[in-house]
Amino acid sequence: MTVHIGVDVGGTFTDFAVSIPEKNMQLLYKLPSTPERPDDAIIQGLNYFLTTHKLKPKEIVRFGHGTTVGTNALIQRRVGKVAMVTSRGFKDLLEIGRQTRPKVYDMHQDFPKPLVPRWLRYEVSERMRADGVVHTPLDEPELKEIANILREEQIDCIAVCFLHSHAFPEHEQRAAEVLRQNMSSDVSIMTSSMVYPEFREYERFSTTVLNAALLTVMSAYLDRLTKNVAKTGVEAEPTISQSGGGLMSAAYSRQYPIRSALSGPAAGVLGAAYRAKATQEPNIITLDIGGTSADVSLLADGEPSVVHSRRLAGFPLRLPALDVNAVGAGGGSIAWIDRDGLLKVGPESAGAVPGPACYNKGGVAATVTDANVILGRLPDTSLLDGRMDIRRDLAEGAIDKLAEKLSMSREDTALGIVQVASSVIVKAIRAISVERGHDPSKFSLFAFGGAGPLHAIDVAKDLGIKRVFIPPNPGILCAEGLLGSDLVADLIQPSLAVFDQNIFEVLNVAKSNLSMRANDWFAAESVDAKDQRQTWSADLRYAGQNFELAINFKNDQFNRDTALALRAEFDKAHEVAYGYSQSNEPVELVGMRVKLAGILSKPPLPKTKAGSVLKSIGSRKVSFGKNMWTETPIYRREAIPVEQNFEGPAVIEQMDSMLLVFPGDTAKIDGWGNLIIDLGQAED
Amino acid sequence: MSKLTPIEVELLRNGLTSICDEMFLAIMKSAYSTNIKERHDHSAAIFDAQGRVVVQGESLPLHLASMLGLVEVVLDRYGVEEINPGDMFLSNDPFVGRGSHLPDVAILAPIFRDGELILFVSNIAHHSDIGGMAPGSMAGGMTEIYQEGLRIPPIRIVQEDKILQDVFDLVLLNVRVPSERRGDYMAQIAANRLGNRRLKELFEKWSKEQIEGGCSAIIDAVTRRMRSSIAELPDGEYAFEDVLDDDGMGTENIPVVVNIEKKGEEIWLDFEGSGPQVRGNMNNSFAGLQASVLFALKVLVDPDGPTNHGMLEPVHIKAPEGSVVNASFPAATAARAQTCQRIIDVILGALAEAVPDRVIAACNGANGVATFSGIGPDGKYYLYMETIGGGAGGRSYKDGSDGIQVHVTNTSNLPVEALENEYPLLVDRYELIEGSGGAGKWRGGLGLRRVYRGIDHTLTFSGQGERGVKAPWGLFGGKSGGTASISLHLDDGSRQSLPIKPASFEVKPGVAVCIETAGAGGYGPPAERDIESLEDDTKSGKFSAEFMRKFYNFQN
Repeated sequence: MTVHIGVDVGGTFTDFAVSIPEKNMQLLYKLPSTPERPDDAIIQGLNYFLTTHKLKPKEIVRFGHGTTVGTNALIQRRVGKVAMVTSRGFKDLLEIGRQTRPKVYDMHQDFPKPLVPRWLRYEVSERMRADGVVHTPLDEPELKEIANILREEQIDCIAVCFLHSHAFPEHEQRAAEVLRQNMSSDVSIMTSSMVYPEFREYERFSTTVLNAALLTVMSAYLDRLTKNVAKTGVEAEPTISQSGGGLMSAAYSRQYPIRSALSGPAAGVLGAAYRAKATQEPNIITLDIGGTSADVSLLADGEPSVVHSRRLAGFPLRLPALDVNAVGAGGGSIAWIDRDGLLKVGPESAGAVPGPACYNKGGVAATVTDANVILGRLPDTSLLDGRMDIRRDLAEGAIDKLAEKLSMSREDTALGIVQVASSVIVKAIRAISVERGHDPSKFSLFAFGGAGPLHAIDVAKDLGIKRVFIPPNPGILCAEGLLGSDLVADLIQPSLAVFDQNIFEVLNVAKSNLSMRANDWFAAESVDAKDQRQTWSADLRYAGQNFELAINFKNDQFNRDTALALRAEFDKAHEVAYGYSQSNEPVELVGMRVKLAGILSKPPLPKTKAGSVLKSIGSRKVSFGKNMWTETPIYRREAIPVEQNFEGPAVIEQMDSMLLVFPGDTAKIDGWGNLIIDLGQAED
Repeated sequence: MSKLTPIEVELLRNGLTSICDEMFLAIMKSAYSTNIKERHDHSAAIFDAQGRVVVQGESLPLHLASMLGLVEVVLDRYGVEEINPGDMFLSNDPFVGRGSHLPDVAILAPIFRDGELILFVSNIAHHSDIGGMAPGSMAGGMTEIYQEGLRIPPIRIVQEDKILQDVFDLVLLNVRVPSERRGDYMAQIAANRLGNRRLKELFEKWSKEQIEGGCSAIIDAVTRRMRSSIAELPDGEYAFEDVLDDDGMGTENIPVVVNIEKKGEEIWLDFEGSGPQVRGNMNNSFAGLQASVLFALKVLVDPDGPTNHGMLEPVHIKAPEGSVVNASFPAATAARAQTCQRIIDVILGALAEAVPDRVIAACNGANGVATFSGIGPDGKYYLYMETIGGGAGGRSYKDGSDGIQVHVTNTSNLPVEALENEYPLLVDRYELIEGSGGAGKWRGGLGLRRVYRGIDHTLTFSGQGERGVKAPWGLFGGKSGGTASISLHLDDGSRQSLPIKPASFEVKPGVAVCIETAGAGGYGPPAERDIESLEDDTKSGKFSAEFMRKFYNFQN
């Protein structure tokens, strides 16, 4: 028997998904996280499975792990001590950044202070020009002087960040060697060209410093985790979830800890991707609504969208990350009347404490959850299978205060709160779909998180989406995603050249360079030839532009014709993305990328067994829109028969979430336990 | 259809804002001008049928006022009956086209619904060149607007969805590097088309009456915000004055004066006493003045609110015609951003006593510009312009920011690697100027030093600096920040100082151009600065031991 385990450590909960393919079985488990020592909850959970479910440690062949250790360390600035060595004249660059302030109209908000203080930033005489000509040779004696000073400081890592090193890394590499020879072996040396060789120095330096700052944090964590996991007898090495999707080996993660720093919001998306693949629904928009925020992302052809530039704890980060757009509209988001008299929802949240008014934990502000109680969309008795009481009178009191100011009825106000929250989410989805050239009405909405399923229909209708998917356990999707992931790496090769007759030669050189590095990675991660996958793309733009479009191509040698075809593809993509193309204007190649995957064996999703007849456990009045109160039957999710259509309206209750089917819509549970709702005619 | 509820208004506003944001991004990602693609010197807006701005996307404050009157000037020239589906209009002139300087080109498109004009969309983008006597169309040394570039009144550029090639060719022939500029115009036109498509989708959800009523309600909401925010300022009369260094053409110490009266929910600003318009290009059009006033009020009273036409209603602006803050034809206006910065300085200065915890001390007070052009070693003509930030003023509870763009400008720098890849230039240094932050309980921010040289060719350099003479002032006992300067570093190691607004200087290979921008004033008496901050000032190397002794009597 083989057992696959996925463990996702979030801020509040540590989620486990265990798959035993031979038994067509999936086990889910949830424990409160232990933020000071995140591995405690992991070990506790492992022991639970080993004892309660009688698993043998040796049967565990895969151990996928999502961690926010790096993210939290950066947010709290509890990181390693980093020094920086940079080109002469540029030690302040890390502090100047792009010389902008975060908000035009805000004189009081600042970007965070750099992680490397000014007195630990050293300049060395050296300078490369943009074309690789050495303008000033590297001054090695100066470097030795710097090493002499730094030996006195208790430095964890030195980040070497020179201009133009993304294309011409020779000075950086040599400087790293000199520092290596002159520093003790417990000090790490990182170059910017090794962390992420892409142009735009500030973003590259910032990414390098973030990586450097996390080296000791991640190593200490993984040391402790692997030691404690070993004690349980489990031999599988943990593989770590990356910000851009996919996993990496623990060894790779120790070297590039920054690659997991944005993996938190990615986990749910990967869970959705895993289910989407199994159910052959390739185009989905994910909607994850928790207490404070709604996270949305888009998967086209089963592939999550990736962006290459993000902010983390206020610092820019240039690394692939899933394109997850978060907005402050969750169940606990507070509804308020702005000074202009309009109703706003969020970003302020009542959180878990004091929580929505109806939780009776001290919250008095009207929240989205309170509005849902008024509308009958949430029960007014209890949640979490009776473990948490709901006080309708408190929800009414909170909503009434707003209703009075708006001169509207209680119900209309509650409906308005839900609509405004939906409109904020719709705006967030437009930003990742419409603004990226995707028509959301051609996608299905995949809703999860505690409150996702409750708002999915409103959001879907507004966007013209016709189908909504809700996984069997909307609250524990993240851990499941770890079971469905592969080892991945993204390699880039900067290569600035005009797209002329002979560009195919430049393309081939870049390609053979990348191929070599790809082979190195496959070897280091021990990926068998049959499990190797490569996705190639070239970054192109019109000469004079600054944003590139990635154009995919096949892994063959280029010739004149195929190079020309690549250009034609670019014109087409530009037309789609920006509404115009200039096929007579020169095009530039900026770089080449290859995405590598080492396919891991993945357990199939377990099939749900067919239930019996559909039978409601009661009914209540639910508002599905203005003056649309309907007596609505309530079902338990686990009692709904598989592959059997039923008509809305319906309320479906389960322990970790609450689901709604609107009148006129049709729903069913599919073979994998997903609830699929097909929306009827768009209503007004 | 009855009146929209406050909830429906918010829903419509979200829908319109989303469209505006999308137009903004589309221009940024497909434009050619560095000003747009890297520095985001552009904006997008949606107007109602009367031409009032309803929503303005993420954008530069200076563009707001140009947007505010844009439809009006188009309607003045073409009656409503002459405006047809598929039209777009081009405009940039400060005197007849509601612009604030020529490089900001606006393109406006009417949006029809069932054959009826119901909305407008527009975008404004700062082109790298609009012709005229100096590359980049921003250099000093010009005395009337004709020298600054092509003046475009509000005219049709697109008809029946087709670009009017004759007009387009005329425009392109008058600008430098037309192949790149073509891409900028195309990006702007495409963004309007995108806006049109998206609004048509929006029309499926909202009736004509709902859109009309909703737009008015969105504008009224901003008026209400503005009124209630102004009401929070203490009633009273406030005044302040300051000077601009010079106009680059011989006029020095140009006064900028404001008298403010605040009563109830309204505010009156009178700029009587400001200097007459000048020969140099520092003159501000009324649109620029309006933008500066609205900016200053917004940062003080309602930084988080949306911007639209409703902001104007409780704000009354008076300024002498033919003055540097409200110039008349044919004044040169390219460098009007410098004057805008000073207008904001005096408004903040005047209101310091009214809202001491919200104002900040004087910032670098400039929109530092450097323009380089020439024929590079590859034989190709190039033109490059950038803006440089400086110190930001000390605040009532924390230090001012070092090396940052302030007030009306927030354009990002061009990465050195991008700059050197695109132009035959090399940046020697880009750093904070030690000692340039005014002392105070909360110190002022440091200015920036940027040193450039041409690679193997002689280049032409023009610059625009301010606060080279009059240092940025401190508040409530805080000291002044360092002043700005421009100089040449010769290959023998000597320095040659240049005027603060040098026009078309030849720079030989081996010579470097050094631009230093001003720091900023401190807030509160230096004696009250805490020990931890003093130690950090010293340890960071941002202030010398001598500076620390002189202003704080501090020795480490």
